[in-house]
Amino acid sequence: MSERRPPTDTDDGTAGESLPDDGTVGERVPDGGMTDGGTTDGGTAHSDRTFVSGEHDADGHAFPSTSEIRRWLVTTNHKDVGILYVVTSLFFLLLGGVLALLIRVQLWAPRAVGETILNPAAYNQAVSAHGLLMVFWFLSPFAFGFANYVVPLQIGAKDLAFPRLNALSYWLYLASGLLFAVSFFQGGTFAGGWTMYAPLNVPTFMPDVGASTAVLALVLFVTSVTVSSVNFITTIHRMRAEGLTLRNLPLFTWTILLTVWMMLFAFAALLAALLILSSDRLLGTTYFALESPGGSLLWTHLFWFFGHPEVYIVFFPALGVMAETFQTFTGRRIVGRKWFIAAMILVALQSFVVWMHHMFLTSINLQIKTLFMVTTIGISLPFDLMVFALIYTMIKGRIRFTTPFLFTFGALLLFIIGGITGVFLGAVVLDYEFRGTYWVVAHFHYVMVGGVTALVGGLYYWFPKMTGRMYDEFLGKLHFGLYFVGFNLLYFPMFVAWQTPRRVFDYAPGLAPWHKLATIGGFVLAASFVVMFYNLTKSAFAGDPAEDNPWAYSTTAEWAIPSPPPLENFPGVPTYRDGTLSFRSDAPQLTAEADGGTAVGSTSSATPPAAYDAAREAHDEPASHASIWPLALSVGMFVLFFGLSGLRGGSFVSGAMGAVYLASSAVGGAVTFGSLLLWALEPFDAPAGGFGEAWPFAGVENGKVGMWVFLASDVVLFGGVIGAYVFTRVAFGWTGWEPIPTDPIPGLLNTYILLTSSFTVVLALVAAEKRSRMGVVASLVATFLLGVGFLVNKGIEWQHLFHEGLWLSTNVRSSTFFLTTGLHAAHVIVGLLITLFLVARAWRGAYLDDSQTVEYFGLYWHFVDIVWLFLFPLFYIL
Amino acid sequence: MLMGLRYVLSALALQSELIPRGSRTFVFQRIFVVFLVLGTLVGIVVITYMLYTAYRYRDGEDRADDGVDRPTLGELPSVGSGGGGRKLLPSFTLSVVIVISLISWTYGTLLFVEEGPSAEESMEVQVEGYQFGWEFTYENGHTTDGVLRVPAGEPVRLRVTSADVFHNFGVPELKVKTDAIPGQRTDTWFVANETGNYTAQCYELCGAGHSYMTADVVVMEPDEYREWYANTSNSSSAS
Ligand code: HEM
Ligand SMILES: [Cu+2]
Ligand SMILES: [Cu+2]
Repeated sequence: MSERRPPTDTDDGTAGESLPDDGTVGERVPDGGMTDGGTTDGGTAHSDRTFVSGEHDADGHAFPSTSEIRRWLVTTNHKDVGILYVVTSLFFLLLGGVLALLIRVQLWAPRAVGETILNPAAYNQAVSAHGLLMVFWFLSPFAFGFANYVVPLQIGAKDLAFPRLNALSYWLYLASGLLFAVSFFQGGTFAGGWTMYAPLNVPTFMPDVGASTAVLALVLFVTSVTVSSVNFITTIHRMRAEGLTLRNLPLFTWTILLTVWMMLFAFAALLAALLILSSDRLLGTTYFALESPGGSLLWTHLFWFFGHPEVYIVFFPALGVMAETFQTFTGRRIVGRKWFIAAMILVALQSFVVWMHHMFLTSINLQIKTLFMVTTIGISLPFDLMVFALIYTMIKGRIRFTTPFLFTFGALLLFIIGGITGVFLGAVVLDYEFRGTYWVVAHFHYVMVGGVTALVGGLYYWFPKMTGRMYDEFLGKLHFGLYFVGFNLLYFPMFVAWQTPRRVFDYAPGLAPWHKLATIGGFVLAASFVVMFYNLTKSAFAGDPAEDNPWAYSTTAEWAIPSPPPLENFPGVPTYRDGTLSFRSDAPQLTAEADGGTAVGSTSSATPPAAYDAAREAHDEPASHASIWPLALSVGMFVLFFGLSGLRGGSFVSGAMGAVYLASSAVGGAVTFGSLLLWALEPFDAPAGGFGEAWPFAGVENGKVGMWVFLASDVVLFGGVIGAYVFTRVAFGWTGWEPIPTDPIPGLLNTYILLTSSFTVVLALVAAEKRSRMGVVASLVATFLLGVGFLVNKGIEWQHLFHEGLWLSTNVRSSTFFLTTGLHAAHVIVGLLITLFLVARAWRGAYLDDSQTVEYFGLYWHFVDIVWLFLFPLFYIL
Repeated sequence: MLMGLRYVLSALALQSELIPRGSRTFVFQRIFVVFLVLGTLVGIVVITYMLYTAYRYRDGEDRADDGVDRPTLGELPSVGSGGGGRKLLPSFTLSVVIVISLISWTYGTLLFVEEGPSAEESMEVQVEGYQFGWEFTYENGHTTDGVLRVPAGEPVRLRVTSADVFHNFGVPELKVKTDAIPGQRTDTWFVANETGNYTAQCYELCGAGHSYMTADVVVMEPDEYREWYANTSNSSSAS
């Protein structure tokens, strides 16, 4: 579990620096200019102004300019990260798009045995990889490129709450995508569809190493998403400008806020599913094995509990882009804004109670079907309201059909068709026949690629802001024309040919003309993207310079600052105190850089909003916007996960490749661990929140909010794993299932040990507050020893079980026991590593002035203890 | 609550001619056509209105300043009012009414489909999917691979499961479909009114042979079927 490192970067970096005896911290950071502003000559920074004009951060120490590769490797700035996300996601669009075209070529005609272009196994891989790449590695990250770039600007923040974690999210995302790409070359990637149904997903039926790699790539991706959700949730709640209450939040930011909340919980459930699947594939547990009672259904529940919210997770940001652009390009404020927001909140909540509508043809009973039919229809209704709100917003407008609006207007049209065809699926009797056919394929492409259409509109909308240059309007319109024709030519025939079974290439010959049309449409759509890539690449370097605000009637804060915005975003502290945006010019180091060209005036104020710059004042040592550790950590995890993919049934595959995998795991593990350590020791400025609106976390610092939010996702992770146990046990027969440890005493002992260790953590905190160095050290050492005692005790217990012939793969009872308690033990190990780190720093006198780190660690540690309080009765007593 | 609702609706469904009942092909066609007609209609109305509005309020040089309060940069969303909301709730309500009545209407048929034919008036066949084919076992224990024979006009109940991975058994022309899940049994039924040959197909990705995982469904004259059935015994055959 080391990859789910709790977000503590505001404190680790700053806590000790003000202490005189802790001066070694700076020396520990390797040189190379990455982290130390003094090594680069500030004079070169202004040489390039293509993307970001303010290469100097407000402290005046240098940061590589955007024309240097190094800048993009070390940056933690949200605008840079946003651009990286957008560019990378478009790269994965190409990959997924090429696969889509291969699929369409195969479907040009029904393919009998021997007439295929891709062989059947390759076709299955293409379909599966296409779906996974498009949904995970293109659609969401594309949206999060904009979220990264725009959300801090819209809310008036200098950056996200945890800039290094943000960079980490990006690098983990890239690493996971590359890992997925590698999986194609390890005998073949995952071939069981993006839904990954069991038991086809286990090695018995899908033995290729590449299939394991694909699953691990997803795990890495989920890690990135979780880190990102924690970051955005903390940022949006804690770092809004004065006056920007949630009610007044711009709609794009609203959609992102709801998206990240859904992500936090949905992806935690997916992580539970994927960890169990990885364990089945790599360690040999038998959750999803053919013999497992309920294994198939267990997967469908776990997957769809994630899968349905995922539909809204990918769609909401698109909705946000539509709302913003409709307001801007019609010159009208959105109709029924309050209702629009209420409808979205309703959808976000309800999205977690509709998952079984994907399972109408399984053995669930009529009551449950009825219930899920009702919730499903219920969740579709708020969308009607949103659609009408968007349409009525146009009334009395001054509508300009510029490229961004063409795309979002087109997106609304596509979404209406997608929505209407979705109602068909909500009628269970019809769903019985549509399931597994091209009706579903057509419907979800209208909705999801409809969402992509809006996001492409967003790309054109924010392109001038992000690059400082205008795209070519004619080519933009041409792109839209080709896109819209291609899209409908591609997907509409799928409704007509709906009788075609999904993921099948040998269909009824009578449907061939429709499939031919669709294939032609696919190529037209692909061609439209060629136009876009040409236009945007050329314009990014040679387009006309863009004004600060190229769009009439736009309202949000990103348009009130230069295009592209300077590194520190605003010429003062943004505030809406007077009902409109202004920048308070009392923050001295910011006014010096203020750009006169903004459309909005500055006001001054007698009360400096200290928190806006609080982090900087906390210590004297220079720290910078740059950090290499997010990249290093991601490289480490990439190598580690690549190595782990070679595991099968708990040991590495035989032969030379086995040695490669083993070495790769070892190296990757070492790099991961080392980067984590150096990360923790690096001095780093994170912007503090609470300078404006911070509901509902006004009194809690960013670090603590982040920890809480992270733990909330961990609750769902354990919920998923424990739920899997309960589900399996019920399917097996609750009473016929005997606990694996015949002797509950070691477990009971461990319960006492953990409870005591929670107590010692509290003592450490008390000691820190009393400024007793020895007290802190002694309590933390006691915690560490108790934790070790827990693990040793568990080790002895497991060894006994092993000698009794019980191990991970023995049966499903032992699988659930070892995996669930093992996941908990992994949390304990992570906790102990952190404890060691804290002890080392406490020895040097850290945490006495600032006990936050100890407090956050305490939250984590108590949580791990509480989990054990659930596991003990479930696995030892009942 | 749910149960109560169910009984009320069943009672209504039984009395009313409104609720399509009959073979699964019939009920599907009925409901599908209604949805298609209404869906197309709603789609055309909404999209036409949307296009018309967009055209009507397009910007242009000739547009005079119409005195409308436009959004300004840096304003708070709650400062200006959106207006135009008067149409929002009525249209929303209308769409809610349409959707809910459509779905409730199909619910009666769902109850009918879920109920299925009784054991006396129908025959039962066990279906087992495997990579990559279908095996059928009749009531007398006779097992065939790849061919399902049934009498025309008589309800057939299927008990479906899988020997290996997740499959899905469906016969598109007969509008019958259900998951084939290892370790689980799912039930469904159909009536084939016309004799002839149909194709059953797998609807859940199950491996390399998925595209070709088909079986023949032979619908025979009832007499002919009975003659064939009488000659089968507790054994396997390929037909
Ligand atoms: C850009 C966003 C897109 C997204 C999010 C997306 C998503 C998906 C998903 C989730 C699947 C299901 C995969 C599975 O069954 O496991 C799928 C299948 C498919 N997609 Fe896409 N897709 C996108 C674009 C495209 C494009 C551009 C094309 C055609 C050129 C296309 C053609 C297909 C086809 C033919 C299938 C196979 C359907 C089947 O056999 O089940 N998709 N897509
Ligand atoms: Cu769903
Ligand atoms: Cu299949």
